[in-house]
Amino acid sequence: MTQRRSGLSLISLLVILAMLVSACSGQPGNQGGTPADQADPNGELISNTGSEPDTIDPQKESFVNEVAQTMMVFEGLMKLDAKTLKPIPAAAGKEPEISADGLKYTFTLRDGVKYSDGKAVTAKDFAYGWTRLCDPVTHGAYAFTGYIIVGCETWNNMDPKKDTPAALKAAGEKLGIKVLSEKQIEFTLTEPAPYFLSIAATWVGVPTRQDMVEKGGDRWTEPATFIGNGPFKMTEWKHNEKFVFDKNENYREPVKLKRWTKVMINESAVSFAAYRNNELDFGPANAELLRTIEADPDLKSQVVDVPGSCSIYYGFNTTRAPFTDAKVRLAFAKSFDRDAYIKDVQKIGKPALSFIPPGRPGHDEGDSEQKFDVAAAKALLASSSFAGKPELNTIKLTYRSSATAKTRVEWVQQQWKTNLGLELALDPVDGTTFSQLVKSPATTPQFFSLGWCEDYPDPQNWLTTVFHSTSTVTRTGFKNAEFDKLTREADKEKDPTKRAQLYQQSSRILSKEAPVAFNYWNASKYLQKPWVKGVTTSSLDFEIGIFKMNEIYVTKKG
Amino acid sequence: MLKYTIRRLLLLIPTLFFVALIVFVLAKSAPGSPFDLNENRPLPQSTIDRLNEVYGFNKPIHEQFALYLGNAVRFDFGSSLVRNRPVADIVAAQLPVSAQLGVQALLLALAISLPLGVISALKQNSGVDYGSLLLATIGTTIPGFVIAIVFIYIFAVNLKVVPIVGWATPKHMILPTVILALGPAAFLTRITRSSMLEAIRQDYVRTARAKGLGEQVVVVTHIMKNAMIPVATVVGPATAGLITGSFIIEGIFSIPGIGREFILSIQKRDYPVIMGVYLLYAFIIAVANLTVDLVYGMLDPRIKVAK
Repeated sequence: MTQRRSGLSLISLLVILAMLVSACSGQPGNQGGTPADQADPNGELISNTGSEPDTIDPQKESFVNEVAQTMMVFEGLMKLDAKTLKPIPAAAGKEPEISADGLKYTFTLRDGVKYSDGKAVTAKDFAYGWTRLCDPVTHGAYAFTGYIIVGCETWNNMDPKKDTPAALKAAGEKLGIKVLSEKQIEFTLTEPAPYFLSIAATWVGVPTRQDMVEKGGDRWTEPATFIGNGPFKMTEWKHNEKFVFDKNENYREPVKLKRWTKVMINESAVSFAAYRNNELDFGPANAELLRTIEADPDLKSQVVDVPGSCSIYYGFNTTRAPFTDAKVRLAFAKSFDRDAYIKDVQKIGKPALSFIPPGRPGHDEGDSEQKFDVAAAKALLASSSFAGKPELNTIKLTYRSSATAKTRVEWVQQQWKTNLGLELALDPVDGTTFSQLVKSPATTPQFFSLGWCEDYPDPQNWLTTVFHSTSTVTRTGFKNAEFDKLTREADKEKDPTKRAQLYQQSSRILSKEAPVAFNYWNASKYLQKPWVKGVTTSSLDFEIGIFKMNEIYVTKKG
Repeated sequence: MLKYTIRRLLLLIPTLFFVALIVFVLAKSAPGSPFDLNENRPLPQSTIDRLNEVYGFNKPIHEQFALYLGNAVRFDFGSSLVRNRPVADIVAAQLPVSAQLGVQALLLALAISLPLGVISALKQNSGVDYGSLLLATIGTTIPGFVIAIVFIYIFAVNLKVVPIVGWATPKHMILPTVILALGPAAFLTRITRSSMLEAIRQDYVRTARAKGLGEQVVVVTHIMKNAMIPVATVVGPATAGLITGSFIIEGIFSIPGIGREFILSIQKRDYPVIMGVYLLYAFIIAVANLTVDLVYGMLDPRIKVAK
């Protein structure tokens, strides 16, 4: 037993060892030449999906490696364009009709859309998926994305045990989802929400099959009943070992791969070895492995860069001294060198001076409120209400413990010591404890490391969702009337230019009031074998190339 | 013998009760809950309250424990709170894999350590003895995951003779079995050697030689049989440890065993799985210990278990 426990902390040594052993190998890869750039009709791709997902139920899941499986098998009314990340019609044949007041969205399904077992997809199937999302019995982690639909929030917040079945039924019937015909479905929203199309492109509203859920019960996510309308069908799920997805012949577009197998390897050092052993077609290229990869010309040429969709920050609990004073917060934000951090520690990613990452709607390039400036930071601290007070010397930085996280927070700890002369205590806690702590400002630690990854590319999902004072995910306790007003106005604004302006104003307030010190925008790299072609990656990929999976193919492996 | 066995089996009940009690209290007192897994998308408090009620987590802890025990004695171990699978299913699917790997490793470990330990003792301070000492030192001091990564590098990445990922074919099983066997093999070699050396110096061995028995008979029936008692003592718990899986080896080779559940269930505060796997572990340990005690009686008639 002791071996099991100590192993956890030692496992990072694995990575180091893997680096050492592979660094001294210098073995040339023997991929040979790819004969032709032609798709192998029997092509099989093998990738690593990390650990076993807890659930792949579209209306319950919330983690990347869960969504990565669901979206192989299902497709929503809309999908995101792999290049622009704008919502485009998927199972819907064309853009929906939107009523003049912006409240009613009517989608018409594409002709001939089928499930992998041949059954036609109807408007009723979509209505079932969306209704299931709002149903309080489902307890979905992402139910809140449906709250924009009339009646969803009220129904979802009812208690299936305490409330009478009649009351529940009545609430369910008030839901703003109507099946107009076999092919038409209408949604009524609580307020105009241009981002609804992006929500319709996520996994929450995919056409889960009622007959399959009823047949499979709790285990409907097993291959026999996990039937969808996406590019692949799940033919095997060996728990804790692998998924096998085969091409769905009934998909609305031709799928070039015959099979996509996803194994579950937790250790990046091992998946790296497996990639070099040609057991995997996609391999890891994280910061710890980069030096090894860059020393080998073959491997180096197989690295693919992917921009990220997350913004990582140090958060302040604005209800706890000394972070009740915005000057103290801004002083912290301006006194660590993000460029050096990326270069020396993080290796992959971009230093962040505002919340929304570059290349997506709402990014504010000119924002320099939190720019690294030691003199200004010192001045801010000196003029703050806590200057010289003991509260500044008892600050504790809480973080989700891991070997890599430790070196990272130690680095910034040193920065604040050098630049502000403040000694911070470090407070590592385990993951689940951390998640529980940051749930609300009442329990949120004084100072903590966290990040936000977008669900859909719209500033609403960044600014309003995270920092509006009524948000369910706020943990900084940040309350700013002006910010609240601007974001709520922007959410409803139909004129895109005006909407962008409102968001930019609110974004500036955020940087200046500094409920968080922006740290970096993430990015990632991975390795791809030369025989894998047709991959279009995007910053929102739950799975490599997920928005154009049907185009991926492999050529004959030399 | 039968009476003794029955009495020991009955003693299992209080043992498992206390294990259950301790694990239950510890698991519940860890901060956080299975509904706190995603800090970026926390469930609304109303949903958590509802979930707590569904699973009875809002009741006092002694009531929860009574409820759990009540179900457990009827062999209903509940369902995982984070995965839609009954605990019994998880164990039924994953324990056989770990058990197979564990038994293979144990047999390999015994096949290496017993002959090596016996020969080292009989030829004390010879080349074989020093060789086994070296092997044993390496096996006990270098952790399995280090050996694993070195073996992966040599046999998979460089020589490309074995695959790394999964548990599909016998070829996949070679590396994990060998690596898992190394630790116990080293340990058992040392135990076998030292208890052999102790037995060799006993009076009854001198007596046996004095009455003119052949060397082979002396070694097998007088020395080895007695030397096996300490070995049996450690093989019991080692077996229990091996068949319930190894978090590290299963993690490295992506083997769908039960070993990883010991860690992951705790990380996710998946109470039913925590209880299930630790009770299973306690049960297997207890059975292994009982078996060892029964084997004592066979090895050494002076130890009377039949009282």
